[in-house]
Amino acid sequence: MSPAHPTDMDQKPEAAESRRTVIAVPDALSDTGGARLLEEVAGAAASGSRAITLDLAGLKRLDSRGGAWLIRAVRAASAGGARVDLAGARGETAEVIDLLATSFAGSPPPPQRSTGFLDAFGNKAFASWAELGDAWRLTVDAVYWSFIAPFEGKGLRWKALVTELNDTGMRAIGIVSLLNFLLGLVIAMLSAAQASTFGVQIYVASLVVIGFAKELAVIMTGIVVSARTGSAIAAELATMKVYEEIDALKGMGLSVTKFLIAPKVLAILISMPILTAIGFVMGVAGGFVLNAMSLGFTFESWWNQTLQAATIRDLMQGGVKSVCFAVIIVMVGCHNGLRVTGGVRGVGMATTRAVVTDIFLIIVADLFFTTIFYYFL
Amino acid sequence: MEKKPIVEVRDLVAGYGDTLVLDRVSLDVYEGEIIVVIGGSGCGKSTLLKNMVGLLRPVSGAIRYWGKEITFMDEDELARLLQQLGIAFQSGALFNSMTVAENIALPMEEYGHMDPELRDILVGIKLDLVGLSGTGPLMPDELSGGMKKRVGFARAIAMDPRIVFFDEPSTSLDPIIAAGLDKLILEMRHLLGITVFVVTHDLGSIRMIADRIVMLDRGRVIFTGTIADVEKTDVPRVRQFFGREPDKTIEARGVETAPG
Repeated sequence: MSPAHPTDMDQKPEAAESRRTVIAVPDALSDTGGARLLEEVAGAAASGSRAITLDLAGLKRLDSRGGAWLIRAVRAASAGGARVDLAGARGETAEVIDLLATSFAGSPPPPQRSTGFLDAFGNKAFASWAELGDAWRLTVDAVYWSFIAPFEGKGLRWKALVTELNDTGMRAIGIVSLLNFLLGLVIAMLSAAQASTFGVQIYVASLVVIGFAKELAVIMTGIVVSARTGSAIAAELATMKVYEEIDALKGMGLSVTKFLIAPKVLAILISMPILTAIGFVMGVAGGFVLNAMSLGFTFESWWNQTLQAATIRDLMQGGVKSVCFAVIIVMVGCHNGLRVTGGVRGVGMATTRAVVTDIFLIIVADLFFTTIFYYFL
Repeated sequence: MEKKPIVEVRDLVAGYGDTLVLDRVSLDVYEGEIIVVIGGSGCGKSTLLKNMVGLLRPVSGAIRYWGKEITFMDEDELARLLQQLGIAFQSGALFNSMTVAENIALPMEEYGHMDPELRDILVGIKLDLVGLSGTGPLMPDELSGGMKKRVGFARAIAMDPRIVFFDEPSTSLDPIIAAGLDKLILEMRHLLGITVFVVTHDLGSIRMIADRIVMLDRGRVIFTGTIADVEKTDVPRVRQFFGREPDKTIEARGVETAPG
């Protein structure tokens, strides 16, 4: 066999033969022996030798590491413009070399796809557009299976809905309450410091109730739910996809949307406004606690001020936002879960992506609704 | 076979929690042989393998490598021993977050600081050996099940181990690839002097590679011998296994194996 490619095609054979170097390979190719061999071969190639013969007669035992040193020596010689022949291999050593024949021939380097800036930009744009289309189709599907199909007699998985309500709603009440209460305290403290310079501390009550009705309860709840439920949805669906459970469902002719997504959509649409309402009450309660403790108002004066300040319109603003956030959280979670690629590692990435997208979209939607309410309604 | 065994398993009792799967299993592994452990599904083959490589700790009994008991080894000693063993898991057990080449290079990098160029060549050799040249830059999820298994094999032999353990090497491979893998096992044994411990129930593979066969049934060793001994034996379960004869009814066996 002639492992190296001939690099001296234009030279006369005699000329090549005259500069042939024979290098004896030591009896074992350990790391030190291999390194020495590599040096000798590279040295011979560098000093103008066009043909090198590696004499393997002395080599007693060849393992794959020794084989790797041989291959490295052959490649170094080829790089230096010399061709290498292996000679004198005996018995098992020869068989090992036969076994490694493909490796000696060298596998071609993998094709490098060059991606310029425009290529990358275009690919990204197309991918984003396609993804938007996927998300849209999934949403339409989800709307159908959640709100239309049950009335067409195609059924709804009530048991799954109850489980989802428990997971996304009931079990979130504690953390949503606590965080909104604490946020109420913080807002009341911050605004009391400002209000006291003008002696209008009673308006802290108004500020807290309006702030929580329009914005703070829903945004706090939205972030808690996206971290709790949005991530759980993405991780669950992604894992099911990786383990081919989604394929199994499809293979049984069942609708993934009906089976997995519709219960989640309905559950979160029910639980999110309720959680927001609870968050609102707890935030206002937090404001009251500070009012009572530190500013010295009675419950009655605080209550009157609160009732005066709160309007149905403010509450509606929070309600509309909560429904919108619910849709964002569930659809982003489902979409990211179902488009997972890359096995187990993809599950973590899908979950991260879902939560980051959730929070981004929640803030954007919040800005949008606040603008509409501020300028137009 | 008058040599001293390199692995001795003595009266091994093992299981999961309260369920005992292996009941006083004893066997020897000799240097340079291919020993095949066979048995029906759920007979304890995989449990035996996991105990032998220290993934599970036995309830009682001894497992000795070159005379050293592994159940008494601390983590460092066990790690040193495991460097001399290669394990090829049933579905490859590749690390999903690494490329194929990185998967194979991992043990080389972790044990002993290898020159990167030599390491790349060595990774290339291992991939060539299992017939997957050029797949180094791929991610595991881009491979088929059979390819993953072969990469798992390449990773198991990455460090030129003295003993290689195979969990079901030919299951879920097509007959051509499976036969190729069997041939590779034979070549590796012949050329590199590797000892091979295979758990399988693939009859074709058993006939092709086995020097010695150990059959487990319901947690016990019921047969030890060569393929020639199999033809002569009158242990009914062995004859049934090699004759591919079904149980009378599946239920009947279910009742037999039910605990208690």
